[in-house]
Parts: sequence; structure tokens; C-alpha cells
Amino acid sequence: MNAHSDLVTSLEWPANLNEIPKAVFDDPDLYKMELEKIFYGPEWQVVAHRGEVPEKGDFKRFYIGEMPVLVIHGEDGQVRVFHNACSHRGALVETKNRGSQLEFECPYHRWLFSSTGEMIGCPNSNQFSPGFKKENFGLREIRTDEYCGLVFATLSDDTPDLKEWMGERMLDPLARILGGDGRLRLLGYQKVNYACNWKAYVDNDGYHAPLLHPAFKLLNWQGGRGSQTPTENGHIVFEADLTMPDRVDLLDDPSLIDFKGTDTSNGSLVISTFPITVLTKHLDMLNVRFAFPRDNDHTEVHYAYFRHEDDDEEMARHRLRQASNLLGPSGMISLEDAAIFTRIHHGNISPGNAIFQKGVSDPRQLNFTPAQNDETGNLPRWEYYRKLMGFRRAQS
Amino acid sequence: MSYESLLEVTDLINEYVACIDDDDLERWPDFFTEQCIYRVIPRENADAGLPVAVMYCDSRGMLQDRIVALRNANIYAPHFYRHLVSNTRIVGESGDEIKAQTNYAVFQTLLDGETKVYNVGKYEDTIVRVDGKLRFKEKLCIFDTYRIQTLMVTPI
Ligand code: FES
Ligand SMILES: [Fe+2]
Repeated sequence: MNAHSDLVTSLEWPANLNEIPKAVFDDPDLYKMELEKIFYGPEWQVVAHRGEVPEKGDFKRFYIGEMPVLVIHGEDGQVRVFHNACSHRGALVETKNRGSQLEFECPYHRWLFSSTGEMIGCPNSNQFSPGFKKENFGLREIRTDEYCGLVFATLSDDTPDLKEWMGERMLDPLARILGGDGRLRLLGYQKVNYACNWKAYVDNDGYHAPLLHPAFKLLNWQGGRGSQTPTENGHIVFEADLTMPDRVDLLDDPSLIDFKGTDTSNGSLVISTFPITVLTKHLDMLNVRFAFPRDNDHTEVHYAYFRHEDDDEEMARHRLRQASNLLGPSGMISLEDAAIFTRIHHGNISPGNAIFQKGVSDPRQLNFTPAQNDETGNLPRWEYYRKLMGFRRAQS
Repeated sequence: MSYESLLEVTDLINEYVACIDDDDLERWPDFFTEQCIYRVIPRENADAGLPVAVMYCDSRGMLQDRIVALRNANIYAPHFYRHLVSNTRIVGESGDEIKAQTNYAVFQTLLDGETKVYNVGKYEDTIVRVDGKLRFKEKLCIFDTYRIQTLMVTPI
């Protein structure tokens, strides 16, 4: 835990809160610091949803920062997160992305672990070092908590209690994205590698003003009432109503954008949890974007789409049709997002600051109640990031 | 299976990929029957029985919608595709339906002139004859390269 970037001492962060120094996107040393302080630090990381591992023995491989982890639905019904590293010499215990099995064997020297992480057996242990005890060599478990089936993990003991970390404001919208009660079934993944720094991804995913997406206009979608609520610790909750048009000229087959939900509002919900996860409910799509940085210049995102356990076949099919066409890296109404991540990342290799404008009434104050289409919603997260990383802010 | 129908199917597939590679996308829906299914699905999902695709059209109208969006709404880095197709096999013939499988590799070139292997997989096609011409009643593209680089807007 001693990564250091000279940038942290040499860079003077602008005094105006709406100015973000582009240098922070292009510094591999800073990235190593971010891994330690943010991804391996006192924050909750979203690693899985129970809907991906519904049965005992189901598992999923994932990453916290660059660390490989294994999420296992244990035979006792509990979902645990482990380091995906053998307790012997450290080989990856599992290399399949998903699967179902009650035992996990490391192929190198055949150490065998149960679905709850205990060591079951290891050949030749009579020749092991004095005092060797199987009980001490289970898979290394990571602290976890769950909310509506969403599995969070943290590598730090100092991370606050999950609900406290999320904040009161997030609980209800997050539950609604997760189908109300978290009883979800996985419909599948769209996986993508974005050629951008993780901060460029998360700063531009989630909700933003619809100017980027001509399809919204072509579909006659009007942004209705809405709000965005940033928190002091880097989360953002967006809620927006969508006024559905009576006529869709763009689409030959407009059934694609029907809203069938029983929810009273046809609105969009977007939650961005610090540092890197975005979750959305848009039309009838329930979507969790599991993400992790691959290196300073690449971010991998697994768009996971879900149905609710109570959906009838028609609803499930409808969700599937929307999931397979509208959002994500090939979504016809919003694939522009992906193009922007790369453009921002390349453009950031230039001097100066990225300057946020819309909604900035006082550049020296953070605004925690920005209007729906304001850019200022991202600024509390940047301020939280600046403080975590220890950048000095200029006085004037 | 006749050698003749293999030739005809191969010809259809060659024409299909040429249409995409030559950016003649307005003609792309014409390769399908009116009632059709076009799915581009990550192999990881297909193997696990998970239905989510990255493109899923269940009518020719939806194919047209994709192209209208690509031309008029979507913003993306301009690029070329080059499909290489091979190993076409007819795996079933019943009545007037032919089932065929073909390997494909799509190379993508961005305007910086660099070419990358973008998407590799196989076509599973159900082909019928309409007005004397072969058309796709169903085209399933199962891609091994299940982690997309940045985005996918042009059909496979
Ligand atoms: S490293 Fe896993 S058994 Fe030796
Ligand atoms: Fe967007």
C-alpha cells in the first residue's frame, strides 16, 4: 500500500469546483494509487447480483479493481466473495466465468475447497510444514453485504455499514431498479471493453443531457420532470419521467419501445455508485453495469440484464427484446455513449482542464440539488475523489 | 444435399457480406424474408442458455430501424468492416428450408488506418426461397469475441 504519483504533489487542483484537470486521466502512477485508495480502500464494490448465481453452488468470476474474485452461492445459502487465489501458492482457483459446482479444485497441487470456502483436502499434507492445519487454509473471504440481492464487497475493515454508505436517498430507487424486491433472474450479458480511463467511463455513463442522443429526439421523447441527487461520498441518483409520444415516426416497429411495466411511473432511474458501477431501469430494462478498470486506459463493463421472477412469458420476452436492442454497447438509442468514452479519453491527452458549465451558478460552491439536465451533478463526486487522492486545491 | 445448393448458399452468403462491407446497408434487409429473425449473440450467453443478444430483430422492419438509426441517429467512429467467410456447410434440408453454418471473421478498420480482428464467430442460417431467390428466414450470429471493443453499430 504505497503507490505514489508525483502528480498528487505537483498538481494544483483548480480553485473552481467545475474545473477538472485532464492530467488525472493520463497518469499510470495515479491509477495505481486509485486502485489502493479507492478500489481496495474503504468503499463498497458491486460484484454480483443473486440473480446471476441463483442456486447453491452457482458461482461467478469477477474483479475488484484488478484483483480477481470469486462469488459463490454456498451450499448453506449464503453468497460469499473470495479472492480467486489458491491459499497454497496463489494460482487462480477458478477460470470459468460462471458455472455451478459444490467443490473448487486448484489444479496445481489439487487443494480442494468447498462452496463455503473451507479447505476440504490437500494431498500429501503429512509432509507439510509443522503445525499445518487445514482449517487455516480456506479460501480468503472478503467482507460482503447485500441489498435486494445486489452483492457488495469491500477489502477494507473501515468501510461503513452498507446502508450508511449508500445513504437513505438511494434505498428506494435502488430497490426499484432491482425489481422492487431483488427477485431477479439473469437474461444475459453484453460485455464490452471501453478504451478509456475508468473515470472517463463513470463520469459520462449514467444520466446526461440528451443532446448526444439524436434518437431521443427522433423518437419524440420528451424529458419530463426529473431530479438528480448527488451525495457527499460520490454516488448519484437520477429519476426522470419520460413522456411517451403517441406517434413514433422513426421506427418501423415501435413495439420495441413500449412501456409495459406496472410501475406507476414510466420513468428512468439511474444510480451511479462510487466508484464505478451504474445501474439503470429504463423502459422495461433492469440493467446492472458491473465494471472494473483493466489498466489506466481500459475499462471493462458487463451489462447484465434481468427479468423479475414473477414476469409472465410475454413480459420476459419484451424485456429481452429491449435489452437486446436499446442500451449498452450496441443499443440503437444510446450507443453514442460508448463513442464518447473513447473520444473523451483521447481528447484528455491535452493540457488544461475539463470545464463543466451547465447549471454552474457559483463555481466555488457544490450544488447538491442540480436540475435534471445540469452537468453539475458530477461535481460532488469529483470533489470527493480529489479529497480521497489528496490533491491540493488552489486558493484562488 | 446437392453440390448445387451448396454453391447457391455460398453465393448468398458472399453477397450478404459484400453488401455490408461495401456499406450498401440500405439493401441489407432485402437479404431477409419479411418475417425473419436476426440475432447477434455472444457465445458466452448462447452456451449458457442466456437469451440476451447485442442485436435482436424479429421483423424486416426492425432490420430497417437499425439502419435508419445507424444513418440518422447514431454517433460512432467511422469504420470499415471486412468479412472473411469460410467453411460453409449445409447441415440440414427439409421441405424448402436449408440450414447452413458458416464461419466468419470481421476485421474492423478505423480511420486511423489500423485494422483489428473485431468479431469472430459463426452464422447459423435458415434459408428459404422467395420468388426464386434464397433469403434468410433466420440468421443467428454467435460470436466468440464476446467482449466487444467499444461498440457495435454495423451488422455482422
Ligand atoms: S497453488 Fe493451488 S494447490 Fe498449489
Ligand atoms: Fe447516454
